Amino acid sequence: MKPFDYARASRPAQAVDLVASRDEAAFIAGGTELTNLMKDGVLAPGLVVDVSGLPLSDIELHEGRLRIGATARMRQVADHPMVRERFPVISEALLASASPQVRNRAAIGGNLLQRTRCGYYRDVGSPCNRREPGSGCPAIDGQNRQHAILGGSDHCIAVHPSDLAVALSALDSVVLTLGPDGRRSIALKDLHRLPGDTPHRETVLRHGEMITGLEIPESRAARNSRYLKLRDRASFEFAVVSVAAALTLRGRVVTDVRLAFGGIAPRPWRSAAAERALRDQPLTDATVAAAGRALVRDAEPREHNAFKVELVQRALADILSDLGGNR
Amino acid sequence: MSSIVGSPVPRVDGRAKVTGAATYAADAEVRGALHGLLVLSTVASGRITRIDTREAERSAGVVAVFTHRNMPRLARPEYIGFLKGFIPVQDPDIHHSGQPVAYVVAETLEEAQHAATLVGVSYDARPPRAVVADAMDEAYVPPPGLSGPNETTRGDVAAGLAQADVLVDVTYTTPMHHHNSIEPSTTTADWDGERVTVYESAQGGHATRICISEALGVPPGNVRVLSPFLGGGFGAKGPVWPHTLLTAAVARELRRPVKLVLARAQTYTSHGLRAEAHQRLRIGARHDGTLTAIDHVSTSQVTRTEEGVFSQSQSSRILYACPHVHVAQRAVRLDLPAPSFMRPPESVGAFGLESALDELSYALGMDPIELRLRNHTAVNPETGEPFGSKHLLECYRRGAAAFRWTERDPRPRSMRDGDTLIGWGMATAAHTAGGRPGAGARVVLSPAGKAVVQVGTHDIGTGTYTVMSQIAAQTLGLELDDVDFQLGDSDYPFAFMSVASATVPGVGAAVNRACTTARRSVIDLAVTDPRSPLHGIPAEQITAEAGFLRATGDSRRRERVRTVLARHGEPVEATTEPVPIPPGYSVGAEFAEVRVDPRVGRVRVTRMLGAYDAGRVLNRRTLRSQALGGAVCALGFALTEHTVVDPHRARIVNPNLSGYLLPVNADIPHVQALFIDEPDPTSEALGARGFGETPGTGMTAAIGNAIYHATGRRFRDLPITQDKLIRGANTL
Repeated sequence: MKPFDYARASRPAQAVDLVASRDEAAFIAGGTELTNLMKDGVLAPGLVVDVSGLPLSDIELHEGRLRIGATARMRQVADHPMVRERFPVISEALLASASPQVRNRAAIGGNLLQRTRCGYYRDVGSPCNRREPGSGCPAIDGQNRQHAILGGSDHCIAVHPSDLAVALSALDSVVLTLGPDGRRSIALKDLHRLPGDTPHRETVLRHGEMITGLEIPESRAARNSRYLKLRDRASFEFAVVSVAAALTLRGRVVTDVRLAFGGIAPRPWRSAAAERALRDQPLTDATVAAAGRALVRDAEPREHNAFKVELVQRALADILSDLGGNR
Repeated sequence: MSSIVGSPVPRVDGRAKVTGAATYAADAEVRGALHGLLVLSTVASGRITRIDTREAERSAGVVAVFTHRNMPRLARPEYIGFLKGFIPVQDPDIHHSGQPVAYVVAETLEEAQHAATLVGVSYDARPPRAVVADAMDEAYVPPPGLSGPNETTRGDVAAGLAQADVLVDVTYTTPMHHHNSIEPSTTTADWDGERVTVYESAQGGHATRICISEALGVPPGNVRVLSPFLGGGFGAKGPVWPHTLLTAAVARELRRPVKLVLARAQTYTSHGLRAEAHQRLRIGARHDGTLTAIDHVSTSQVTRTEEGVFSQSQSSRILYACPHVHVAQRAVRLDLPAPSFMRPPESVGAFGLESALDELSYALGMDPIELRLRNHTAVNPETGEPFGSKHLLECYRRGAAAFRWTERDPRPRSMRDGDTLIGWGMATAAHTAGGRPGAGARVVLSPAGKAVVQVGTHDIGTGTYTVMSQIAAQTLGLELDDVDFQLGDSDYPFAFMSVASATVPGVGAAVNRACTTARRSVIDLAVTDPRSPLHGIPAEQITAEAGFLRATGDSRRRERVRTVLARHGEPVEATTEPVPIPPGYSVGAEFAEVRVDPRVGRVRVTRMLGAYDAGRVLNRRTLRSQALGGAVCALGFALTEHTVVDPHRARIVNPNLSGYLLPVNADIPHVQALFIDEPDPTSEALGARGFGETPGTGMTAAIGNAIYHATGRRFRDLPITQDKLIRGANTL
C-alpha cells in the first residue's frame, strides 16, 4: 500500500474542500471497499478524507420521500421499520449484501460507489481499461462468466456489484451531492456511466463531489416490492443476476411496475422496455415472458455468460410470480 | 472405570486457542525482525530482461532488495518434501505467473509492501499454455512419484469389458482448487551464527528442517523448526515451498531475523494446488450387478518443471471386488504453478468412480447401495490380504437406516416438495491411512508424577494434542491432566508430515510404544522395591490406570504411580524410533439430500450424513469435527469451489476468498456422523486408524448423485453451478 495522508472532516463543506484541494484525494466512510482496493494497489489515494463522523446518517420520511443520509450504515437502513414496511426491496437488497460484519460497518453512500468485482480489475498484474486506460480488457476473450450481457463495450464488460443500487434504481431514487460547485440532485439511474470508450470514468460525480444522501419517493408499488438475488453460494457473495421489482395490480392488470436488474450490466439496469411490456397488461405467463424478452433483446453474451440471458428472464418470472400473488 | 481413550474430552488446547494464548507461527515475537515481501511475476512464461530495484531500495525503511542477481545461491533440496522443480530468484527464467522474482526486506511490513510496488520488471514473455483441454494430445503417463505408480493393471480390462452385460462409459471434469487454510503460510528465520530457528506454519517441521539444511548447506542439527499451532493446512503446508528457503537465506545474508507472511493472493502461486482433472471411466457389469471391469483413465495438469500427480484413483483399484482393473494417471504440461496434494487428493478419483457407479446403478435398475454390496470385498484385491478391519457393510446398513434410505423413491424427479425437487444420493467413502515412515516419540516421567511426551508432529486443527494426550495418559495409566503432550518442534523425535491421514496411526503408535516402555519401567521400579506394596509381584500382573499401579486379582495391593516416581527421585525416560506403519483403510457410507429450485436452478444441500469405520474412536468430539470438515470440503468441491485461470495469460483470476467460493455457514446443513467404533486389530494406536481424509472422498459424488436423483440430469463437470443446471433446459 502506498503511504497516504489521512484527515477527518467535521463538516461536509470541509470534506469537499479537502478532497477538491488534491488530485489524488478520496473520501472514506465505512472503509470496507476503499481499504481493500488500496491494499491490492488498485487505488492509491494520496489523501483519504474520513467523512464517517459527519452528521449525515439520519433516516426519515419527509413529505412522501424517504431520506437516507450517506453515512448511515447498511444495517441501520436494512433494519429500519419504516424502510421494511414501505420500501421492502431496499431492506431485502441490503440484507442480501455482504455479511453482517460488513453491513455493520459499510456506509450507504460508499455502497453506491463500489467498484466492480471483475478479477482483472482487482489484479494489478492484469491489464484493465477501467483501472489503467488503454491497457486492454482480458475479460472480453477471457474469463467472463461474471460479466455483463447488457451495456458493455469493446473496452469493458464489468458489472456493477451493488445490490442496493439496483433496488434504488427501481424506485426512481435521487442521489444528493455536495461538491465544489454546490449541491446537486442526480437521478440514481444517471449516477453510473456506461463504459463506452472511457470505462475508467465510472460515475458522473466530479472530483471532490460527495454523496450526502438519497431520496426515494413513496409509492404503492414500493410497498409491494421485492429483491431476488441469485448467486453461487447462499450468502456473502455478489449476484450472478438479481432483480428488484415493484408492482401494483388492479385485479390482474398491472397499473405500475418498476424493474431493475443487477449482475448483468456495468450499472444498475433499469429496463423501461420490460416495464412497458407489462404496464396496463394482465399479469400472465405470456406478458411476463414478453417482458423478459424485451429485457434481453439487445443482450450481447460472451463465451461464459450466455446463461445469464436465460437466468435473468427466469428470475424476473420468479419474482413477478411472487409479487403478483401467483404463489 | 471409564477409559480416557474413547472419551469425548474437549480439546486440551481449546482454551489457549479461544483466548488467543496459542502462538501461531506469525505470532512469534522475534526481537529486531525485519519484514520480507515477495514480488511476483505477472507473466507465466519467458525470462526477465530487466529488473530495476533502485527506487525500491531508496524507499523509506528498505534494508535490501534481492533479485536473481544478488539472492544467495540455493541448492534444490532432494528430499521428497520439496515438490518444486526449481528455486525461484536464482535465474531470470519464469515458469509460471505469480513466481517470485524479487524479495524485498524492510523495517516494517508497510514499508516492504510499498517498496514491493516500486520494483520494475520487464519480461521477454512467451504465450503460455493454461488449458488442459488444449494439450490432451500430449498427455503421457509420468514416472512413479511421491504418490506411487501412475499406471496399474489387474487382470485384463478388455476381456472384462467384453464380458459386461451393461457398460457405462463416462467422462467427468473437475477444476483446479486451492487449499485456502485460514492461516496463510508464514516463515520467520532467526540466525544465531550457523544455527537457525525457524517459526514456520508447517505440516512438516522435520521436512522443513531437512529442506533448509539441504538448500542452505548447513547441518540438519543446526536447523530448528517450530510450529506449535497451525491455522489449517489441507496439505498446502506439508511440502516445503521456496518462500521458506528464500526467507532463511535472506535472513542469513542480512544477519537479521526476517519474517515473511504470504498475502492471500500469493498463497495461490507460492504453494501447491489441486490439479484440474478429466476422468474417463468405463465400468462393465453383469445384469446382477457384479463388476467385470473398471477402466479409469485420468488426465490432469502438471508443469514443465514438475510432473507429480497426486490423485491416484485408489478407490478404483482397491475399494471393490473387480477382476479386471486398469487405472492410469496421465498428465499434460501447463505453464502454471506445481500441483500438490490437497485435502484428500483421492476425492478427485473417488468422485469419478462413485459417480460412475451411480450411473451404473440406474443403467442396471439397481439400488446404488445394493450395487456396492454385491461388489464388496473384505480383502485388498491387489494383494489378497485383509485390511486390518473393514466394517463397510455395517456402515452402509447404519447409514441407510439413519438416513431413512428405504423411504427413497428411486425414480429421478419423483420426490418433491411443492415445486421444489428433492434428491437423495449416496456414495462410498474410503481412504488409506498410514503406510508412511511413521514417527518416534520421547516420554519423560518426572518424580512429581507428571509426563511430558514429545513428538515432532503437528496439530493441523484435527486434535493431535488432544488424542495423543489421551493415548499417553491411557497407556501410562495416568490422569489426562498429568500428561503434557508437546509437538511442533523439530528437536523432538521425527515424525513424517501431518498428511495422508497418517498422524493417528504413525504418531499414535509411537506414543503408545514409548509410553508402554515407560510404564513397564515404572512397574519394574515398584515390583523390585521392598518399600512398595507391589514388591515381588511379576510385572506382567501389574496394571496401570488412573494414576495407580494395581496387582491383577488383588486390587487392594496398589500404589500411586506418583509415589513410585517420587521414591525413585529421578525422571523415567523412554524413546522410540520411527517404524513404518502398515496402511489401514478407513471407510464409510455417505448420504446427501438436495433441494433444487427448478425455475432458477438453485441447489441447496439440506442433509448430509456419514457412517464411518475409523477403527476405535479415540475421541468422538474431534473425530466428528473431521467428518464435518470433510463434508464441507466435499460440498465446496461439488457446488462452489473453482480456481479460475485466464486462458491466454495463465494467471489466476480469483486468488482471494471473495472470488474463490468456499461454502459459508448458510450453505451447510446439519451434518450427522456415525461411527462403528470397532478397534482395528492391526493398529498400534490402540485400535484407531487415521480418518481425516475419508469423509471428503465420497460426499462430493453423493451430492452429485442426489442432484441427478432430483433433476434426472447428470452433471459431469464440477462445480455444479446454476448456469449448468438451467443450460439447455426450458424448465428443470
